[in-house]
Amino acid sequence: MVILAIAALAAGILCGLTDFGSTVTGFLVENRDFILYLLMFLVGISIGMHRGILKKIREYHVKILILPAGIVAGSIAGGLICALLTGHPVNESTAIASGLGWYSLAGITIGNLAGAQVGSIAFLSNLMREIFSFFMIPWISKHLNYYSCIAPAGATSEDTTLPMMMKYTNEETVVLSVINGVICSALVPFLLSFCIHFF
Amino acid sequence: MDILLIMCVGVLIGNRIFPEKYRKVNEKLQVVCTMLLIFCMGVTLGSRENFLQELGTLGWTSFLFFLFPAGISLLLVYVLTRKFMPSGKGEE
Repeated sequence: MVILAIAALAAGILCGLTDFGSTVTGFLVENRDFILYLLMFLVGISIGMHRGILKKIREYHVKILILPAGIVAGSIAGGLICALLTGHPVNESTAIASGLGWYSLAGITIGNLAGAQVGSIAFLSNLMREIFSFFMIPWISKHLNYYSCIAPAGATSEDTTLPMMMKYTNEETVVLSVINGVICSALVPFLLSFCIHFF
Repeated sequence: MDILLIMCVGVLIGNRIFPEKYRKVNEKLQVVCTMLLIFCMGVTLGSRENFLQELGTLGWTSFLFFLFPAGISLLLVYVLTRKFMPSGKGEE
């Protein structure tokens, strides 16, 4: 799966750079929301086939918030370290880190608030977070625990990284992953604004 | 929100009427959709103006901004879930 994903990403970049098959690729890119909808529908079927999953999730109660809380706190702490290492202002660094992998939103919002260069860093770093977390999930599930697979994925844990969760963790973690993704995605716009204005 | 609604419809169908014999077909279709999404991500990246130039000049800084937030999140979630999540759950 990981090799397939690398090949798909490389082929996509190549097609984008060279304009190869632009009619087909253009059609795919325009309709990627529908591909995502289909994927979520299929993932939903897999979850539904796993009996008793909702009962298990209810057992977590408020502890379910540990995941998004750890992800947000860890990301902002990482942003502070990056500020020390790169010399970027603390507000910009924490804002970049609080994109939580949502590269399109972070890139545009931070670009508007702090300038094009910082916006590009926000875009690239959050894109890297999505891509690398995709490839890190198999390793994390094997060497740490299933819950930890959700951490690098951040806000993307409800969509693009979900199939990797399906393959390398279990249905219970997949549901936790969706809940975490919804919470993180809802928090990102507030975190970006908060970090830029208050740090 | 629409993603969640669609997923809920899927959960309902999977729970009530989806035949067990198509489980593998469903899993294979998920892989196809995922690869198409990653491919689309690549196309968007490749067709971004000055993508290679940006990657060259801002790549290292961007990598640091990925590495530390993702790494510390991972570490923190691992420690917290080891301590607070039900033991044995979420692990093999």
